[in-house]
Amino acid sequence: MCDTCGCGNPDEFKIHGKENGQMANWRNGENQEHHHHDHEHEHDGHTHSHVHDHTPEKVISLNMDILSENNRLAERNRGYFEGKHVLALNLVSSPGSGKTTILEKTIHALIPSRKIFVIEGDQQTARDADRIEKSGAPAIQINTGSGCHLDAKMIHLALHKMEVDNQAILFIENVGNLVCPALFDLGEQKRVVVISVTEGDDKPLKYPYMFQSSNLCIINKTDLLPYVDFSVEAAIQYARQLNPDLEFILMSAKTGEGMNEWYTWLSKQ
Amino acid sequence: MHELSLAMEVIELAQREADKNGVSRIREILIEVGDLSGVEADAFQSALELIVHGTILAEAELRISRTPGKGKCMKCNMEFEMNNRIDCCPKCLCLPSEISEGQEFRVLSMVVE
Repeated sequence: MCDTCGCGNPDEFKIHGKENGQMANWRNGENQEHHHHDHEHEHDGHTHSHVHDHTPEKVISLNMDILSENNRLAERNRGYFEGKHVLALNLVSSPGSGKTTILEKTIHALIPSRKIFVIEGDQQTARDADRIEKSGAPAIQINTGSGCHLDAKMIHLALHKMEVDNQAILFIENVGNLVCPALFDLGEQKRVVVISVTEGDDKPLKYPYMFQSSNLCIINKTDLLPYVDFSVEAAIQYARQLNPDLEFILMSAKTGEGMNEWYTWLSKQ
Repeated sequence: MHELSLAMEVIELAQREADKNGVSRIREILIEVGDLSGVEADAFQSALELIVHGTILAEAELRISRTPGKGKCMKCNMEFEMNNRIDCCPKCLCLPSEISEGQEFRVLSMVVE
């Protein structure tokens, strides 16, 4: 038997994984194939030495989540927020749903009674951070370049560049994308998904990951409802099918509809 | 294209584990990709192959083990095969369902020298 990995004795050689077909093949066959040892043969009554023709190999069993490093950093961020009693919210949506306008209005309404900080994520430009700073809240812009989402490390580094006050609200405006940001925990306490009525009401069914991982859904631009074929009832029904605990706020950041409900929601977190 | 970011995560994870175990060469890496994990296995494999040059995984054979999705109806508790996240319980024909398998995305093992 190989003293490095134990191959040649299936009972001792294990990779801990799921018991589906492919895994079973891996466990019982593949490692036998790539180890060109001469153990499993008849000896016909004679003895000889076993010569290995390559460097000894071994198998390291890991079973490690590939996002474990991101999740570790996200937990660090979360601990930092909790220690400072900061409410950190991750705002996700398609491009153009109105996230930045919602934030501008929120900053105008809540400052100075509440301290607000913003981390802006976009592929390029500092336009959103400039808009937020004009509204009166400190903002830091992360440009992801070719990246399609923010991750926990980017938030960690941004927090080293912007001191967030205790008791503040930190809005993290993610890159406009309903796909990739769903996979990356940033350490936020709550995730808020924004859709606008100019999008399809079946958006929750098309992008289920995002709606399943969010806590609140803002349906924005309700002032345009008379002009578009968007059924609020259908959108809510689709989203609740995926995530029965999802809360909803109907909003028009432009006219102010639903903003008070939003501020109440924020104060309850 | 988050598959590229995920491929980079795999390289970093492999390097960390190689350092920890005093390993200089990885011959194979076995990765489990659940069908409901939000990761496109083919795109992920292509992304990893694109960027492994010059890394600890440059010579490693990439093996992907797919795990099919499985759901559990939150109404009748029946378990059923789930091809995507919005599949209904075949008996109740309704959502929501709890995803019990298929969300995995992890490195299972490495064959090293």
